[in-house]
Amino acid sequence: MSTKDLPLKETAVLKGHEGAVLAARFNSDGNYCLSCGKDRTIRLWNPHRGIPIKTYKAHGREVRDVHVTSDNSKLSSCGGDRQVYYWDVSTGRVIRKFRGHDSEVNAVKFNEYSTVVVSAGYDQSVRAWDCRSHSTEPIQVIDTFTDSVMSICLTKTEIIAGSVDGSVRTFDIRVGREISDNLGQPVNCISLSNDGNCVLASCLDSTLRLLDRTSGELLQEYKGHTCKSFKMDCCLTNTDAHVVGGSEDGLIYFWDLVDASVTSSSRAHSSVVTSVSYHPKDNCMITASVDSTIRVWKT
Amino acid sequence: MKTVESDEEDFVFYGTPIQREEDVTSRKKKSVAEAAGQLRAVVPWKQEVRDEEGRRRFHGAFTGGYSAGYFNTVGSKEGWVPQTFTSSRKKRAEVKQQDISNFLDDDEKEEMKNRSLETSMQFDTFGSTAAEIARRQAEKEQENRPSAIPGLVPDEIILPVSSSIGVKLLQKMGWRHGRSIKDSRPNSLYDARREARKALLAYSSGDADAKLSQDQFDSDKVESEGVTEPSSDNDVFTSHSTPVFVLNPKQDMYGLGFDPFKHAPEFREQKRLRVYGNQEPGNKRGSSMKEHFLAKSGKVAPGFGIGALEELDDEDEDVYGSGYNFQATHVQEIEEPSVLMLEDKKKPGKTEQGVLAGFKSASTSDYQSERYSPPVIPDGFKPYHKFLAPLEIGNKHSGPPPPEVPPPEENNLRVLIEGFSTLVARCGRLFEDLSKEKNKQNHMFAFLDGGKGHDYYARKLWEEQQKRHDETKQPVDIKSNVEKMTAEGRGRILGERPSERSSQDSSSSVVADAVQLQFNLSDTFMKPGSISELPEAAKPFNVDPEKQKRFERFLKEKYHGGLRTTESGGSSKMSEADRAREKLDFEAAAEAIQKAGPSKSADTFSSQQFWASLNTQFTSAGVEDAKISQAEEEMRQKLYPRREEYQWRPSSLLCKRFEITDPYIGKPPPLPRAKSRIDSLIFTSDVMKPTKSEEAAIATTGSLSASQSKEPLITEQLNVEETAVDLKPAYVERPVDLYKGIFSDDSDDEGEGSTINQVEDIEKKTEVANTTLNRLIAGDFLESLGKELGLEVPQEPAVTTVNKVSNLASQRGTNSISGIDVKLAAVDEKPSTPQITFSKPIRDQEAAKSKSVRPEVIQGGSSEGNELKQITPGDFEKSKILSTRDRSGKSPEGEKSKRGSRHHRNYSSSSASSDEDEMSRRKRSRRHRSMSDSDSGDREYRKRSRKSEKRSSSHRKSSSSSSKKHKSSRRGSGRDEYSEDRKRSRKI
Repeated sequence: MSTKDLPLKETAVLKGHEGAVLAARFNSDGNYCLSCGKDRTIRLWNPHRGIPIKTYKAHGREVRDVHVTSDNSKLSSCGGDRQVYYWDVSTGRVIRKFRGHDSEVNAVKFNEYSTVVVSAGYDQSVRAWDCRSHSTEPIQVIDTFTDSVMSICLTKTEIIAGSVDGSVRTFDIRVGREISDNLGQPVNCISLSNDGNCVLASCLDSTLRLLDRTSGELLQEYKGHTCKSFKMDCCLTNTDAHVVGGSEDGLIYFWDLVDASVTSSSRAHSSVVTSVSYHPKDNCMITASVDSTIRVWKT
Repeated sequence: MKTVESDEEDFVFYGTPIQREEDVTSRKKKSVAEAAGQLRAVVPWKQEVRDEEGRRRFHGAFTGGYSAGYFNTVGSKEGWVPQTFTSSRKKRAEVKQQDISNFLDDDEKEEMKNRSLETSMQFDTFGSTAAEIARRQAEKEQENRPSAIPGLVPDEIILPVSSSIGVKLLQKMGWRHGRSIKDSRPNSLYDARREARKALLAYSSGDADAKLSQDQFDSDKVESEGVTEPSSDNDVFTSHSTPVFVLNPKQDMYGLGFDPFKHAPEFREQKRLRVYGNQEPGNKRGSSMKEHFLAKSGKVAPGFGIGALEELDDEDEDVYGSGYNFQATHVQEIEEPSVLMLEDKKKPGKTEQGVLAGFKSASTSDYQSERYSPPVIPDGFKPYHKFLAPLEIGNKHSGPPPPEVPPPEENNLRVLIEGFSTLVARCGRLFEDLSKEKNKQNHMFAFLDGGKGHDYYARKLWEEQQKRHDETKQPVDIKSNVEKMTAEGRGRILGERPSERSSQDSSSSVVADAVQLQFNLSDTFMKPGSISELPEAAKPFNVDPEKQKRFERFLKEKYHGGLRTTESGGSSKMSEADRAREKLDFEAAAEAIQKAGPSKSADTFSSQQFWASLNTQFTSAGVEDAKISQAEEEMRQKLYPRREEYQWRPSSLLCKRFEITDPYIGKPPPLPRAKSRIDSLIFTSDVMKPTKSEEAAIATTGSLSASQSKEPLITEQLNVEETAVDLKPAYVERPVDLYKGIFSDDSDDEGEGSTINQVEDIEKKTEVANTTLNRLIAGDFLESLGKELGLEVPQEPAVTTVNKVSNLASQRGTNSISGIDVKLAAVDEKPSTPQITFSKPIRDQEAAKSKSVRPEVIQGGSSEGNELKQITPGDFEKSKILSTRDRSGKSPEGEKSKRGSRHHRNYSSSSASSDEDEMSRRKRSRRHRSMSDSDSGDREYRKRSRKSEKRSSSHRKSSSSSSKKHKSSRRGSGRDEYSEDRKRSRKI
């Protein structure tokens, strides 16, 4: 994949959020995207046509993260109101609210079978919630973190979470083991490579770090952008050839995965780029920013 | 009823029996008799209503029940009749409002009246009862009086006032409200005036117009009577003895009880200032307000608000805010229109400054502060102090400098001399003379009289004077300093220690010197060079020199005491919150320095790393990150990423939802991870575990954990070097750590504190003895077998020395069946030959040890306790014992009865049945133990002391791991078990 294959052309601007957009996520097939923000709403868009589809309102405070099941039937979201919401996508109604976090919830993810919602919170814990039963109690609480847990990733058998205490912790359910990779810097966001072998961690020292998951080795560091105080997403492209990350000055950076050189950096937003999400198949990307817009980028 | 009575013994009745008709006749007679007689005397509410028949009448639910009726309820023979509807159109006068009293009995009404406890009239000092009575009276009157407005509404609002007896008395004696009791001036005019004044006070900040007129009136009065009645001013003050308080007259348009400043007391202060000190120009006030506002509460997110019921706390701050400035002044004006209007009105008429609202400054004032004009500064005055005694700087330094002298070895003396010379250079020779006089006896000051260290002193003094001279030569430009008093300047005057550069070139340092002297003194006499000796690592805020400076000052104040500057910590430019945050920062840093102190050499880099992390954690977004040096960077990269592994138990439901089989299925709940330090202290003796929560801890154990990080990598390759011995893993507190169990070597447990386990030592010893005995028995047995079969059994020569064992062994040998034994022996023999192939040094070593130990054991049977331990193979025998203990009870052999001892039981357990068991197990190269076996074994082992495990730890671990692996059957277990098997056979 050369530089010209990078999605650098803006094809649509999704406007509608009032205030900062805190996260924007493609759904599993990449046809739709979800965004959430400080205006306490979650919005469903068709990014390819650039139109809003639905707005989900129930949150009492800002919504920090949203995730949709692989069958697109359910949503989960979380935010400043300390609850994890479990939504029905089509009706837009809240099916369940999971209470239990003692503080703001930073990230939320479904597992592969959409049976469990795992959330990570400012209360230094990761909690797993059952979507099948009617219980609103967490089925698992992981509280080995020593600071706010910022981001979470799930594989088939593992829960991976990054925390401000500088650790990326992998909880292997199959083996019953916790592996903690201490990076020494507050971890802002983690993202899995598409092959699942590496984890990309965005640290608050303006560095993205790529870790080998099996050995815990530091494979590469990506620098050049600014990330010092905001929770900002990072991800890998769908081919795992590049690393994408936003910057606090509104730029989007592309790094070569292997040699860590900045392949491209271009202005995308007028303010902090809070979230980037890469299309699972195509060369398409959405970015969200504090300037209340979501932009769709294609080649 | 009769039947009931007859059966009374047998039945239990609940409820009230229905009365039969015939029973009533007797009652009727009675009632007739009583109706005529004394029954009348009963109080009305105790009377029962009965009909002609003498029955108690029951009216039914809608007719009042039992208690309704002529005598005790409604005042008619018919009983209570619901009011019929009458049209109010025609019979307006007859409309009568019904209220509850219409339906109440007299007694109930009485009850209602007596709700409250009240004083009787006699003792009604405060008039409450009188007031109550007056109210009732008014009510009564109200009832009689026809009213246009139906109901009691107006009278409920307007209550008659009655004053207490005390007040009445006082009033009769000429006292009036608002006057002090001692004041007995019966001047009605005076009273009226005071009333007016009182009203004025009460409503001083109320209606503006009223106030103005009152004001005018009052001031007129004062002016007209001020001269004629000189005591009137006095009276104003005494009359406040019974103050009529109007607390916080309502001036704003907020709802009752709403406090807009609930969470922002600064605003209240601000408001108060504005209300009273409104001489400030408006725009300035607004700007300061805005400043305040922004500093305190941050910016509120633009575009949308939060709900009315939500509190605005700091998470609502718009961290992304892009410089949208809140119009604080605008908001202020909306908040309180009335006050502002009032101000506006007042402003034009207001010429005098410093007058309270509603007051006018008196034309004649009793108090007049005397003001003097400031003294005239003569020309050529230099604003720094000179001692009367000449400093002699000018001619002193012209002389030849004393020769360079090495400082005296005595550190104290050196410091003293240096400090003293500084002092003398500042204060002049006079000071030297004085102290010479004073410290004649003190041998420390011998250097003044040419004693020890005099040369050094002379040299030092000269240097200092030289320095002083250079300083004083610099032009003193005080004027500019006075004109513009910056924060730094003030700080300097207050004794802040200016950074080196600024003290050199800034003129005002001379002024500050006198104050700084104090600091220098404390420096030199209290703790030599505390700041200068601060290691480079302990300058956490190098990035920000100002901050570093403040930090040093903070340190000094914290540890040295002395004069405290009023604004300690933080320059005046900082807001309160910033200062507080910085102080916290400093506290943490100081603590870290203290901790780092003892182990300076070990953690130069780790403390630096701590600072780096501190900086990144605490600096605000704008502050540039620390320039991490190259070496530091490397260090960091070496440290991170650091991998650690723990046990973690997913809940079974989680596993189910992830469609994974629970790895811990059927296992007992895990031990809680040690969280507090105390917990970890129990398990770890000398090695601190790296508590992730404390950076400081990381700092101290940084180097240690660095080496730990490599451990998992090392473990894969099984040839563990000797160097790894002292790198103990930190996760000792988790006794069932899987990986450690598999991979770490024997030496891990060396040096572990055995204090807690010493109690169990004795028990353990016996157990150990038992197991070895067992093994010996088995050995015996094998040997005899081997002899029978003509095979060479390796290395068990002196079995006969343990006589009882051998006896039994031979006894059992005869019992055993040879068919299986052949196989057993064959299997056993095999591993004994390739012993040499063991490449691992430790294993070899151990093998050698065990070889060398073995003969001792057998020879010195008495020293079993100590020596046997060493060759204890450990777990599997143990578990065998446990499992076979049960069996021994069932064993057909009756030997148990002969010897009740434990020994006996043990070897009986290893009799035929268990031997068979063992044999069959050995046939397989990989032994799979049953769940219960290994579990019980594990538990047993946890109890045992680590001391005894030293030798057997490898066995233990492999066993525990194998037990764990049993289910999951993962890699590694096979190898371990294999080696274990080999070992075992070797020993046998």
